[in-house]
Amino acid sequence: MRRRIGLATLGRVYLALVLMFLYIPILVMAVMSFNASQFYTLPIDWSLRWYEALSGNSKLLNAGFNSIVVAVVTTAIASTLGTAAAIAFFRYEFRGKQVLQLLLFPPIAIPWLITGTAMLLFFFWAGIGRGLHAMVLGHVALALPYVIIVVSARLKAFDPDLEAAARSLGASPAQVVRHVTFPFIAPGFIAAALFAFAVSFDQFVISYFLAVPGVSTLPVEIYTAIRKGFTPEINAISTIVIVFSMTLLVGVARYYRFGGER
Amino acid sequence: MTVAASTEAGGSAKARRGEARRIAVLTGPAYLWLAVTVFLPISAMLYFSLLSEAPIAGRVGQFTLENYQAFFDKAFYQSLMLRSLRLGAEVSFYCFLFGFPCALVLAKVVKGRWREAMFLLVIIPFWSNALVRIFSWTMVLRGNGILEQFLNAVIPGFGGLDLMFTYPAIVIGLVHSYLPYMILTCYISLQAIDDDLIEAARSLGASRWTILTRILLPLSMPGIVAGAVLIFVPVIGSFMEPRILGGRNGTFIGTVIEDQFTAVFNWPLGAALSFILLGCVLIIFAAFHPILRRAAR
Amino acid sequence: MASVSVRDVSKLFGSFKALDDISIEFADGGFYGLLGPSGSGKTTLLRLIAGFDFPDSGEIEIGGEPVGALPAEKRDIGMMFQSYALFPNMSVFDNVAFGLMVRNTARAEIARRVGEALELVRLTGLDDRKPHQLSGGQRQRVALARAIVFHPRVLLLDEPLSALDKALRVGMQVELKRIQREIGITTIFVTHDQEEALTLSDRIGVLRDGRLVQEGAPKEIYDRPESAFAATFLGDANLFRGRANGDGVVLADGSRMRTADAPGKTGEEVVCAVRPERIEVVPADGPADGEGNKLDATVSEAIFAGNSMTYLASWQNQTVKVIAQNRGAEPFEAGARVRLVWRPADTVVVTP
Repeated sequence: MRRRIGLATLGRVYLALVLMFLYIPILVMAVMSFNASQFYTLPIDWSLRWYEALSGNSKLLNAGFNSIVVAVVTTAIASTLGTAAAIAFFRYEFRGKQVLQLLLFPPIAIPWLITGTAMLLFFFWAGIGRGLHAMVLGHVALALPYVIIVVSARLKAFDPDLEAAARSLGASPAQVVRHVTFPFIAPGFIAAALFAFAVSFDQFVISYFLAVPGVSTLPVEIYTAIRKGFTPEINAISTIVIVFSMTLLVGVARYYRFGGER
Repeated sequence: MTVAASTEAGGSAKARRGEARRIAVLTGPAYLWLAVTVFLPISAMLYFSLLSEAPIAGRVGQFTLENYQAFFDKAFYQSLMLRSLRLGAEVSFYCFLFGFPCALVLAKVVKGRWREAMFLLVIIPFWSNALVRIFSWTMVLRGNGILEQFLNAVIPGFGGLDLMFTYPAIVIGLVHSYLPYMILTCYISLQAIDDDLIEAARSLGASRWTILTRILLPLSMPGIVAGAVLIFVPVIGSFMEPRILGGRNGTFIGTVIEDQFTAVFNWPLGAALSFILLGCVLIIFAAFHPILRRAAR
Repeated sequence: MASVSVRDVSKLFGSFKALDDISIEFADGGFYGLLGPSGSGKTTLLRLIAGFDFPDSGEIEIGGEPVGALPAEKRDIGMMFQSYALFPNMSVFDNVAFGLMVRNTARAEIARRVGEALELVRLTGLDDRKPHQLSGGQRQRVALARAIVFHPRVLLLDEPLSALDKALRVGMQVELKRIQREIGITTIFVTHDQEEALTLSDRIGVLRDGRLVQEGAPKEIYDRPESAFAATFLGDANLFRGRANGDGVVLADGSRMRTADAPGKTGEEVVCAVRPERIEVVPADGPADGEGNKLDATVSEAIFAGNSMTYLASWQNQTVKVIAQNRGAEPFEAGARVRLVWRPADTVVVTP
């Protein structure tokens, strides 16, 4: 009996260690963003000076604004298109359905390097060009499979008879969606929307290739700054970004019960 | 109630047409978007890879296989490809080594609401900003960084430790990024293993090790393979992590491809190398497809 | 209220023929049961009448008008699903009101009609509850109220009682019949449970492999099955094979059996069905009764079921099932030699 308890406790300790591994670098970065000393010397000299410096760094701030704008537009488009497709997959059986579902995988399975360079190449050639609009095109493509997967997961728990019942009672297809389908999907829809936002906001590779000098998103700007040389303001904005995106993801988790519970 | 619909015998053909229209309306926009932004670009890239120069700004390229040839001619590219494949394999392996026990604990030891909370904690870093996470590692690994200071505090007189711009740094950063993925896939597989199976084995006298090697590992193989493949593929194409953590030591096929598009502007070569990389990816998927399908169920 | 007419309807799924040229008339105001095993096509037919799918050939008419490719939402039908399909995000009131709401009924009118419907199903006072707060029986009543509140032309029920436990089922059977009689709506229901079909229906249609095997009032089909399938699917039946001979049948061992109707041409192969409860078990050495059909058999098993005794008797390598009402008589034991007797009128010739 004793040995069994020992192994389980060891397991829990190990889990804690892994969690530490996952979070410590982020925590370090966050803590150091409040350290006035530019070179991490301990003890920590608590200060908000890098955050203040950040408020004057127009490059980073503009990039942040761009990131948000792109993410909002991406979310709106991807949520709508993706939810519609998910409903179609749920409701209907048709030839080619499996093929369509398979086609969702390339955007997420192919290394983003390849997708990103292909987009750069094609957009340039086709005259679409680079910039924020191109990024929206790319981000939506990346977010779509995830939206479809998340909403489909929610629909799995949806009794198909509910839509049939509504129809038998005289509801038109639009009324069915409005009164029955959408209220049920809502949590999944919110989870998918938050997810799409996170995917777009944190997206680096596609944004990197589709950025134009002077017009880029936050991750790209941070990357450039790192390559050029470290300024502690990156620390400050990075902390803000990671806190923001983690909050988003907690929101996703709240609306999407993983494993289908509920 | 008047019947406006046709009274043709049956009516199922007409209904099928109406349904087909509705399906098209619902799925069309999404897939049209994917066609324009993913499938067309990749086709375009294939086209470019077969040209001698990029057909932009008035230039005209000619059909040639020399871009692909360059890969097979220059040992540099091949060794780089191998280096990238090795990186992929290493990262996948470490993710398995450290991730599997974690998944096992989550699936079998942690119960109830703790499980959901722990699971969330593991997954969230995976979906947060990759760039920021890698950046945070630079603070830990650099000379006079946190790791060095910590080790010095624990082991007096440890001395300097600058891991930045080394191969191990790249591995650490990538493992940190993709570990949750392996934990996720292994967790899903392990969770599906009925506890009764393990109880039955124990009642038959199996040791812990036997249960692990003869029951848990084989039954969770689909999840392990799924995780490995889904880690391997992005890693071999990575360029951001190698550049930030590896600097000059961080040259891989991914960084070379990136160079073609942003520095050297030899797009046809970049396209060809991308397709060779894509070819590797497809070969790997094809090879592991049967196991992956089992994992998807 | 309207009659429903199904004429020469066929439905294929790929190469599988779910319905094979089937025709049925459902009378206005009747309670009609479609009975059959799974795969018989009964649910498919219900869905075709409802408008969720469409026949490949043939016609369906509701109220004398062909429905063609009219979708379900335009057919003015009420349907009750096996899982009840109550809208989880709506209260009982909103669930029942749904059909009226999509028909743009005035608020006051909705309130009145919903109240009436809930009263009819004996569920007043539960307006604000959500489906998950209701018991199985209550949910079913809500589903029923929801389906009838807007006075549809036809009421369709998909396995209405299968989700209830035994005790509730009997009570609900009575309720359903009462409600149907009170509002007089043409009701078609689908079931694989023969007891349900017998108790609820005015008329039963027995389906098998997409075809209508027999149709008629419950007692008619039960007492006079036309096929071996109908005989064994609706209730239990003992099947005896032999050759026609005059007014009866000669069995393999030479013994003779008189049948209710003429068995057909002499020498022809014939199957007879006899219900277990129509057979009487008497001691083998008892007085020989000349009139009825009789067989000498040995009891292989005696199963006590409270109000009845089931005997399995073996005769000529065949097991004959007999159900005897428990009247307090001393039961026969396994191994006892007995004589099975029954009336010729209870010996029905069926197609094999």
